[in-house]
Amino acid sequence: MDTVIELDRLTKNYGRRRGLSGLTLDIHRGEVFGFLGPNGAGKSTTIRLLLDLIRPTEGTARVLGLDPHADAVRLHRRVGYLPGDFVVPGRWTAGECLEYLTSLRGGVSRARLTALAGRLDLDLGARIRSLSKGNRQKVGIVQAFAHEPELLILDEPTSGLDPLVQQTFLRMVTEARAAGQTVFMSSHIMSEVERVADRVGIIREGRLVTLDTVAALREHAVRRVRLTFDRPVPAEGFAHLPGVVDASTQGTTLHCRVEGSPDALLKAAARHTVTDLLSEEPDLEELFFTYYEGAENGHEAGLTPGR
Amino acid sequence: MATKPASPQAARIFARAVRDQRRSLPAWAAATAALGALYASFYPQLADGAMADMMADFPGPLRDAFRLDDLSSAAGYLGSSIFGLLLPLLMVVYAIATGTRAIAGDEEDGLLDVPLAHPVARTRLLGQRFAALATGTAVIAATVFLAMLAVRGAAELESVSVAEFAAQCLNLALLGCCFGALAVGLGGALGRRTPVLAGTAAVAVVTYVFDRFSGQLGADWLRHLSPFHHYLGGEPLRTGFQWADAGILLGASLVPLAAGAARFANRDLGT
Ligand SMILES: Nc1ncnc2c1ncn2[C@@H]1O[C@H](COP(=O)(O)OP(=O)(O)OP(=O)(O)O)[C@@H](O)[C@H]1O
Ligand SMILES: [Mg+2]
Repeated sequence: MDTVIELDRLTKNYGRRRGLSGLTLDIHRGEVFGFLGPNGAGKSTTIRLLLDLIRPTEGTARVLGLDPHADAVRLHRRVGYLPGDFVVPGRWTAGECLEYLTSLRGGVSRARLTALAGRLDLDLGARIRSLSKGNRQKVGIVQAFAHEPELLILDEPTSGLDPLVQQTFLRMVTEARAAGQTVFMSSHIMSEVERVADRVGIIREGRLVTLDTVAALREHAVRRVRLTFDRPVPAEGFAHLPGVVDASTQGTTLHCRVEGSPDALLKAAARHTVTDLLSEEPDLEELFFTYYEGAENGHEAGLTPGR
Repeated sequence: MATKPASPQAARIFARAVRDQRRSLPAWAAATAALGALYASFYPQLADGAMADMMADFPGPLRDAFRLDDLSSAAGYLGSSIFGLLLPLLMVVYAIATGTRAIAGDEEDGLLDVPLAHPVARTRLLGQRFAALATGTAVIAATVFLAMLAVRGAAELESVSVAEFAAQCLNLALLGCCFGALAVGLGGALGRRTPVLAGTAAVAVVTYVFDRFSGQLGADWLRHLSPFHHYLGGEPLRTGFQWADAGILLGASLVPLAAGAARFANRDLGT
């Protein structure tokens, strides 16, 4: 498979502070990759290394087969980048800003800019400083997508967007993939990433803790299950089944959570008469929290902290 | 996939930086030129010797330092307070403020991440922003030149030729380039506004003092290290173009610029 981003033990220290510790990761052409992690995990550090805004302490990165430092100009031509904090001079209008930035790449048709802005409901005549955070973020999204780059590197693209615009943005990502573009996006929110991503990497304290396809993550994720029987059943009969956690009964109803396959639970339930069955979508967010919290806190897998 | 083959026009950054000064620069140039012309137009009232008489009471070293000995000639009068203090001060303030903003200020405000993630080499960004600054110093100096020509007749300054005014104004622009380049270069190396501003301003003050007081300090050679000496010391208002001095000012601009660019190209961009 064609590799678009190739990171080999990529490490970045800020003085004595740790930014990123030995990240090895391959991103394939045409995939949407979700890069998740808590605050300070090293997501923006990774992304700024890819764009040669900062230089690695150790390890190497290759992007589109190029060296981010030596080939910076050639590489940037083929990449669209949305920084975690999109800052442009406040006195520019949104349209002026987009025309200037796209002109650095040789220009993009006005029609394309207007179409993208219209889609995101962005007023091109407004001054940047008069825009709300979300509307400013839209300017950043338009400049990243405008030239239809081979590779989109987006640092928390949905931050500040209202749910409706978030939907539009996620559709734009899906369309980009359909057009053969590769998308590398960071986020704090599993639910938005899992809707569009093929694969997800979770990073914590500068290290990759999970890397898997969304489908595989779903398989291992925890789902809530509710079973109703025609008469009361003892909870003990279910509590120790493989994959079943937190089983409790209330009259004829059994509530529990299942990690991975629900097979053992269903076979045990089949010994009784089942009148109703409800299984929720596996919640990747919970899985995500497990990794967020990490082993060091001693949190049990699947224990959800207050959100 | 890209809509057009990417061929970024060479001077986009420069053009943008010039446009971004389109309000502040004309205002600064007009104010500088107006102040210069206003003071220049006082010459007839002072040429009769009243001023020179007053200055005769000044201590000798101060008279030397501020070129107060020959206030009755037009070139002497213009060279003391107007081209000797007021105009270079306003020019250097423009250059330091603009040069500091060009890299260090923008970097601290997080404004460099976006353009530098575009197909723009860091050295190109730095070079073109300096070029916009140099254009600014040229605009200010040219405005001063035109203002001087405008009052030349009425203010009885005809003993200074048009070419001599032009020579002094060229040096004024180059003086601005010198300190602007220092601010841009330091910004490229350090990326933070305060040390760049403080460092460049300190160099300006110290080199001004070198130029003015090195005689009194008994270290005449110090004067040659000062851009202010190469700006005014050759007396362009009496002798016209001083190409060696102009060359030195230009060289003194390129050195910090090149050194700053080299460092800028190889360091982390601040957040
Ligand atoms: N310029 C810097 N100087 C010093 N430390 C830094 C710098 N930039 C980042 N760090 C440190 O590196 C670590 C990773 O930061 P990074 O910004 O990559 O996190 P992140 O995953 O993007 O977080 P967030 O979700 O909050 O955006 C943090 O501990 C941070 O404090
Ligand atoms: Mg971040």
